[in-house]
Amino acid sequence: MKYLLETEKLSAGYGAMEVFWDLSLTFEAGRTTTIVGPNGAGKSTFLKTLMGLIEPRAGDIRFKGQSYVKEPTWNRINDGLVMIPEGRLLFSDLSVEENLIMGAYPKKTRKSMEKNRDHVFQLFPRLKERRNQEAGTLSGGEAQMLAIGRGLMEEPEICLVDEPSLGLSPVMTNEIFSIFRELKEDKMTIVLVEQNTNQALKIADHVYLMQAGKVTLSEPREAVDLQRLEDLYFARTA
Amino acid sequence: MNIKISALMLGVMYLGVPFFLGDNDYLIGLVASALIIAGVAVAWALLGNLGGMVSFGHAAFFGVGAYTSAVLTMDYGVPVFVALVVGGVGASLSSIFMMPALRLRGPYFALAILAYAEIFKILATEATGLTGGAGGLLSIPSLPVFAGVDFGTKLGGYIVILNIVTLMLITYYFIRRSSYGLALKAMHDSELATRIVGVPATYLKVVMLLVSAFMTGAVGAFNAHYINFLEPDYAFSGTWTVFPIVAAIFGGYRTLSGPVLGALFIYLVDQLVFKNLIPQGHQLILGVMLAGMIILSPSGLLPVITNLFTRKKADNKRGEAQHA
Repeated sequence: MKYLLETEKLSAGYGAMEVFWDLSLTFEAGRTTTIVGPNGAGKSTFLKTLMGLIEPRAGDIRFKGQSYVKEPTWNRINDGLVMIPEGRLLFSDLSVEENLIMGAYPKKTRKSMEKNRDHVFQLFPRLKERRNQEAGTLSGGEAQMLAIGRGLMEEPEICLVDEPSLGLSPVMTNEIFSIFRELKEDKMTIVLVEQNTNQALKIADHVYLMQAGKVTLSEPREAVDLQRLEDLYFARTA
Repeated sequence: MNIKISALMLGVMYLGVPFFLGDNDYLIGLVASALIIAGVAVAWALLGNLGGMVSFGHAAFFGVGAYTSAVLTMDYGVPVFVALVVGGVGASLSSIFMMPALRLRGPYFALAILAYAEIFKILATEATGLTGGAGGLLSIPSLPVFAGVDFGTKLGGYIVILNIVTLMLITYYFIRRSSYGLALKAMHDSELATRIVGVPATYLKVVMLLVSAFMTGAVGAFNAHYINFLEPDYAFSGTWTVFPIVAAIFGGYRTLSGPVLGALFIYLVDQLVFKNLIPQGHQLILGVMLAGMIILSPSGLLPVITNLFTRKKADNKRGEAQHA
């Protein structure tokens, strides 16, 4: 088994609209893969399809070599496929701590809930200070920390992160990315979808560029030339 | 606080009511009827508060439970106490037919389930072989003598329905405290977010519907053996939906004991006061009372009481501090 997660000719869409076609991507264990691309390229839809939140039209998803297309979302999560969604999607009426407890909903994670919670509090001391506060009252950066913390409570083997820098100040964005750098050093497998190409490239091992439902570039980080990537990104070259 | 009030309320119901009203069949019967409403109100609030689904169709579960239990005892000689439980199971089974409605949200779910309730009423009217049709069922067996106690009396019946409601409250309490309770609470916030953390949201809703239907069915079955008579227009009457909803909202349907307090208050005030003032159409006043409650305290009667207690405590503490 070479890849932890791979897709084969995967297609999905909403209603009459096809969002992406024939995507064959691979994600290696212990490495960080970044998917960059403009709005509407289908990046978020791709992640949602990996999680089973959207049913694929065609193709296959394999996690640890096992076909996943028919698995319900909660089984995928229990197996260690975890998503930190775009726009945080926190439970705003629940407290910070209750949000983390919800992260430990998958059966296998319930026993180690307290240990994982303390680990998250260690990673984000600010969440510990605010543990009894309603999640809806957090600032954007704190909310993103909580979303990451909740994801870690699910004991991910592979973490799909969707636009973590959305709506954050540059300072906060740096702070969030330093967390991902730490996770990367701990050998976490990360799939990062970002529009902030600069930041995303810094922590990537492999880069995909997605445009209008297609992968238009797939290169290891070392081979990527930022100038060329941005030219492609903004369609300045053919 | 909520728990203390529930315990206090149950204490009064178990000790105070039999002691003071035990030999007055009329009054104890009224309180028992109020508890029947309370039972349905708790089941309704469980689905509405924890499950986030407002139902206009609980009359269906009430009726199905009543008919299941009545037919089983009359035609198949099943013991009454067993039949009460099977009545609940029957109501749960009937709720399976309503599950397609779980795909709908908010008012659409409420209306769809109202339509289902009507279907069950028609079925009960037309299936004359089983239910006796519009003519109804007469002389349904009363609650039996069990362990030397005659539960067929007004007081005996009161004790049984009180036990049923207590069991329901305990179940409610434990569901709310469990991980399912938190997941259900989270579902109100964002169903998509619960799916992202791996909560099988639809499955949880199904379970809540089954539990709520079971509870309502068991209460409906109890009612059939308490009044010994059933007909479709009565057993599936909209009253069994509307009265519990009014009671639950009036008492505070997001609280544990609110629906019970609401049912006792609404039903007893209606029967003892308004009915004497306006013999016809006294339910009108209930509408006015409910509207007033929603304006003055949208979360119901129980929070008002709780606030009274806590404010007193706070005042006492302040008083002590000043003396010191």
